[in-house]
Amino acid sequence: MKTQIAAGLALCLMASAVQADVTIGNPMAQTGPIPDLVAPMVQAVDLAVDHVNSQGGMFAGGERLNIARADTGCDPVAGVDAVTKLINVSMVTGIVGPVCSGATIAQAESVSIPAGVVTLSVSASSPMITNMETGTDLVFRTAASDAYQGVALAELALAKGIKDIAVSYANDDYNAAIAGVFAEAYAKMGGTITANQAHEPNKASYRSEVATLGSGSDNLALFAYYGSSGITIMRNALETDAFSTFIGADGMLAQEVIDQIGAENLDKATFTTSTSDQTASGFNAWKTLADAAGIPAAGPFVPNSYDAAFLMALAIEKAGSADRSLIAGALRAVANAPGETILPGEFAKAKGILAAGGDIHYSGAAGPQDFDANGDVAGYFSANVVKNGVWEGKIIK
Amino acid sequence: MWQTFGFEFVNFYFIPGLVVGCIYALGAIGITLTFGILRFANFAHGEVMMIGAYFTWTVMTLVKNGLGFPIHPLVAAVPAIALAISLFIFVDRYFYKPFRSAPTIRVVMASFGMMLVIRSFVQSVWGPNQLTFVPGIARPNETVKSFTNSFDMMILMPNKHFWIIAGTFVIMLALSWLLTKTKIGKGMRAVSDSPELAKVSGIDVEIIIRATWIVGGFCAVAAGVFLVMDLQMLETTMGFRMLLPMFAAAILGGIGRPFGAVVGGLVIGLAEELSVYPWLGNGPLLSPGYKTGVAFAIMIVMLVLRPSGLFKGRLF
Repeated sequence: MKTQIAAGLALCLMASAVQADVTIGNPMAQTGPIPDLVAPMVQAVDLAVDHVNSQGGMFAGGERLNIARADTGCDPVAGVDAVTKLINVSMVTGIVGPVCSGATIAQAESVSIPAGVVTLSVSASSPMITNMETGTDLVFRTAASDAYQGVALAELALAKGIKDIAVSYANDDYNAAIAGVFAEAYAKMGGTITANQAHEPNKASYRSEVATLGSGSDNLALFAYYGSSGITIMRNALETDAFSTFIGADGMLAQEVIDQIGAENLDKATFTTSTSDQTASGFNAWKTLADAAGIPAAGPFVPNSYDAAFLMALAIEKAGSADRSLIAGALRAVANAPGETILPGEFAKAKGILAAGGDIHYSGAAGPQDFDANGDVAGYFSANVVKNGVWEGKIIK
Repeated sequence: MWQTFGFEFVNFYFIPGLVVGCIYALGAIGITLTFGILRFANFAHGEVMMIGAYFTWTVMTLVKNGLGFPIHPLVAAVPAIALAISLFIFVDRYFYKPFRSAPTIRVVMASFGMMLVIRSFVQSVWGPNQLTFVPGIARPNETVKSFTNSFDMMILMPNKHFWIIAGTFVIMLALSWLLTKTKIGKGMRAVSDSPELAKVSGIDVEIIIRATWIVGGFCAVAAGVFLVMDLQMLETTMGFRMLLPMFAAAILGGIGRPFGAVVGGLVIGLAEELSVYPWLGNGPLLSPGYKTGVAFAIMIVMLVLRPSGLFKGRLF
């Protein structure tokens, strides 16, 4: 971890020192409530940029693609600050990131949309992002909306025989939104919601919360970031025997949860996440590249991060210049049909086709990555349970 | 009666409130002493709590890997306290002392800067990930459970909570002895009341300031270690999260009044937890999402009605 931070710092310094070439902004959440999840996502972005630079760089002149990286800490305020600096000081062509929905929405509304800069989030999954733009076409994402994941989770809960459930969610854009989708779908499918409460993240104790929630059910649907409240709530719930079964989503899916709470206490915990169709050619191409680079190919949002950075590079290449206003149109052109299929890592091939005036259609590591009218993509989800001390996922949709 | 009212109330609301209150109380002691004696709000206080817990974790890990046996966090906290106090004194000497005669806002800003410096330092040395203090989950103490159950009033308390409450009690007694019976403690109270008068009566203010950092640092690290004993994990913003409720506790008790800070901490800890008890009907009285607001509501009401705090603290 130490060396990664040192390397990250060195990269930031390098990126801000060299400004002559094409620069894309990359606000991530290296600190904050989910550092474990973000570290491999950062590596995936770097890998995509490496592929671009080692396969001829940008444009006819082979200019270098640079990353200007910033840390949002998963926080809307810090996200606005970070992106303001990237857009106004680092003069980036487009934004790849942020990670968290709250930071993504806040920076898009107050910084990147007014500045006319494209945001291509790597993992923001809140349904609120779908319809947040009026009249512009600047916010995209390579992760599927939780409008689907919440429903998938409700189906999963009922399939597991969970007939009643209490819902607890952290009061932020991502967790509140997916909790809302889940609760609505679950009730519609015939399940009973015994209690539905927000909780304030970053508290030392959640014993009173789990006590009031736990009076009606043994099952808890927990929507939280593991680092700010998730682990503590699970621990408090297990300590007081308030809950025995847990379900939830991406924000909880970290090895940290197993290390902290112990695999023996997590036999009835299931968390879903965005995943890739592992039989698709895009995923297989990505897996070869990721394995060679030592990056967990199927980690939560790791392929999505690669796709976002790679798509941004393709879009800039297609636009033919670092002009911000051309990126949105170019992004749709390279991500959607028609065109010749480009797999992860095939930058030189794409560059050749674009130079010859042809069309390309990127088929990504995480899925097809065809943007709909709102800049959203379809996705697959997996249900993850603890097996032999690690999370093991099975695709559900 | 116990089954319907007392069991849930005591085990899930009162005891957790008491534990959190103890942690707030210890942190608030340091804040109120610095505020009273040095006359500035030390924003870096939460960070010293946090780095003290990281030192403790490091000592525990080194002993476990080097000597092969685990030690209790409270044993490992002893060298950690020494390190954190040295840090406090070092920071005071080079970053706060130059502003001693300048307007207060400068040293407040310096402490704000120190807060960010210390946190970034911890993030670069130990990493931004959570660290495990004690893995697994802490089940309630079986002896206490069966003993109290024989009186028909089962109390569920894990061992860590006994340590936290007993530890706070011992530290409080020691502090009370220090402040009322020793020369240095009397000097601290004198400087808190009036630094000029203390100076002309021959009290060495610099020594008193150093003593303040030592006492404040000791309590801060104790609070930090108790907090991670309760949470069982360490994380770089944990001190900052506690900072605002600790300020609320210090103001509630009266600035410069260590015992007021203790009462303030307990009141705020209990008020936060009890505000979500289903006093009326089945749902919580207040949505837990707004629990933090309770501490500040109390603080604001206090500032409006009785700005000197419960124990007649200093007014600024």
